Amino acid sequence: MEAKDMNVDSQVLKSESPSGLRILWRELVKDKLALFSLIFLILITAFVFGISWILNQDEIVRVDLFAINEPPSDEFILGTDYGGRDVFGQLIIGTRNSLTIGFLVTLFSGIIGIVFGVVSGYFGGHIDNIMMRILDFFFILPFIMLVIVFVSLVPSYNTFTFSLIMTLFSWMGIARLIRSKALQEKELDYAKASKTLGSSDISIIFKQVLPNITSLIIVTMTLNLAANIGLESGLSFLGFGLPENTPSLGTLLSYATNPQTLEHRWWIWMPAALLILLLMLAVRNVGEALRRATDARQRRG
Amino acid sequence: MALLEVRDLKVHFPIKGGILNRTVGHIKAVDGVNFSIEQGKTYGLVGESGSGKSTTGKAIIGLEQITEGQVIFNGEDITSIKNKTKDIRKDIQMIFQDPYSSLNPRKRVLDIIAEPLRNYEKLTKNEEKQRVYELLELVGLTPESIWKFPHQFSGGQRQRIGVARAIALKPKLIIADEPVSALDVSVQAQVLNFMQDIQKELGLTYLFISHDLGVVKHMCDEIAIMYRGRYVEQGTKDDIFENPQHIYTKRLIAAIPDVNPRNRDKHYVFRQEVKKEYEQAYDEYFDAEGLAFGLKDISDTHRVALPERG
Repeated sequence: MEAKDMNVDSQVLKSESPSGLRILWRELVKDKLALFSLIFLILITAFVFGISWILNQDEIVRVDLFAINEPPSDEFILGTDYGGRDVFGQLIIGTRNSLTIGFLVTLFSGIIGIVFGVVSGYFGGHIDNIMMRILDFFFILPFIMLVIVFVSLVPSYNTFTFSLIMTLFSWMGIARLIRSKALQEKELDYAKASKTLGSSDISIIFKQVLPNITSLIIVTMTLNLAANIGLESGLSFLGFGLPENTPSLGTLLSYATNPQTLEHRWWIWMPAALLILLLMLAVRNVGEALRRATDARQRRG
Repeated sequence: MALLEVRDLKVHFPIKGGILNRTVGHIKAVDGVNFSIEQGKTYGLVGESGSGKSTTGKAIIGLEQITEGQVIFNGEDITSIKNKTKDIRKDIQMIFQDPYSSLNPRKRVLDIIAEPLRNYEKLTKNEEKQRVYELLELVGLTPESIWKFPHQFSGGQRQRIGVARAIALKPKLIIADEPVSALDVSVQAQVLNFMQDIQKELGLTYLFISHDLGVVKHMCDEIAIMYRGRYVEQGTKDDIFENPQHIYTKRLIAAIPDVNPRNRDKHYVFRQEVKKEYEQAYDEYFDAEGLAFGLKDISDTHRVALPERG
């Protein structure tokens, strides 16, 4: 038996099936733009997280009145802002903060949305009805206004608490999507079969149904990531995001509200604006390729 | 004592309507069904689509809510889902109609067949694998299959995986819900014979749901004909096929094609006669709503929904 076991185990690699993840990957490789975007994203992420490890945030955000609004030079690669702070350093740390918030919000809202949606869809009936009305309630709340109120209420916040506030109002979209898919999946015979085989509802939800909607989850979360990065930048730009001593791409961009800065000191806001654009485009490219991969008719790979 | 006894089983689905989404009526999917199955026998449930045969099976195993009636398994009342304790669930298993949707596409065969084992038996990884190998051998699949995914198999092979999963816990009763109707005719016989083999080997009892009279004749000891949620006729295989009493049964049996082409004309004439009789006697055999009447004993084994005469 042991020998047979070994024999069988060695065949695992050969009989690998085109699973969902593999299809996603193949589509990414086929779509050169998406592949390029993914590499760009990975490099940027590795770069900002690596460099910010060395950089000292307090030093960068310290006001230096002798070096106000300096254009790019050898000392300051991207010049300084109106407080004499190094723009390049702020850009690195800001990108890191923006990305962190984007990732955290996507992750948290993803977890809440998936659990909420899959439970609601699986049980259906009254439970679904009640849960969906709760969701509708969150949906009609004016998101931007409430985040602004929360930010003004909470005395001190950092990237983590800010992510939590944003999460509170951004889990509904994914929850609704997952619910509709779970409603379909639970009607399939394999879910019913699991029930007759004695599996509990919880184990059917998470072990049987969830693996069948992973590709949908990956796609939605990727596309959400782009939206969340944009949202964070927007809020910071309006002055309701992170405080000035915690730079983000949005705070850098908000310097451009000063006409002087906008017209004569491009080095302060231009790099941040470009980076936001590139990051969102890159994430979107990847997300779109993944979305295409889930639909066999649109696939290229 | 019968292994499974079903008394006056009713499954009604509410029809919601109106502004307040109130229940405005019921669809009587199963409307007063009685039967019992002896240990080791195969009981066939036949009917056209929508006649409530699948719903009956699903109600017994607990996938549909029972509106009224009683289901007694091995002397225990398992009517409500609450009473279907883990031990009882273990003894009743189901083979599903569609071998494509009844296996989780994301799971390997090992995980699919081991699922019931993981729920009921505490086995080590190796023991579990061993058991799955044994089951695969029993259903005639190669040991390498254990690492494959369902889509790498043909329909017949997938149905065998479904069977392997159903017999993994050594159940007493298997509800086979049209187990071969999604399969190729050439594969049907293969799966059916195999089901008979394991029935002998493991002493299984089948509740065999089908719309294919040929298959039912091949498999079953006792047969019941269902029409619109009610029984029309019930009896042994010979009662039904040799001595059909109800016009609905007669017409069903007349519809079985004859293999001998020389009899084609004779068979056609016979079918026309039965059709004529059916149309003429329809009002007599069914009530105003088009439902069958209550069953009457004709012999010890044979019960027919005959009209009240006189």
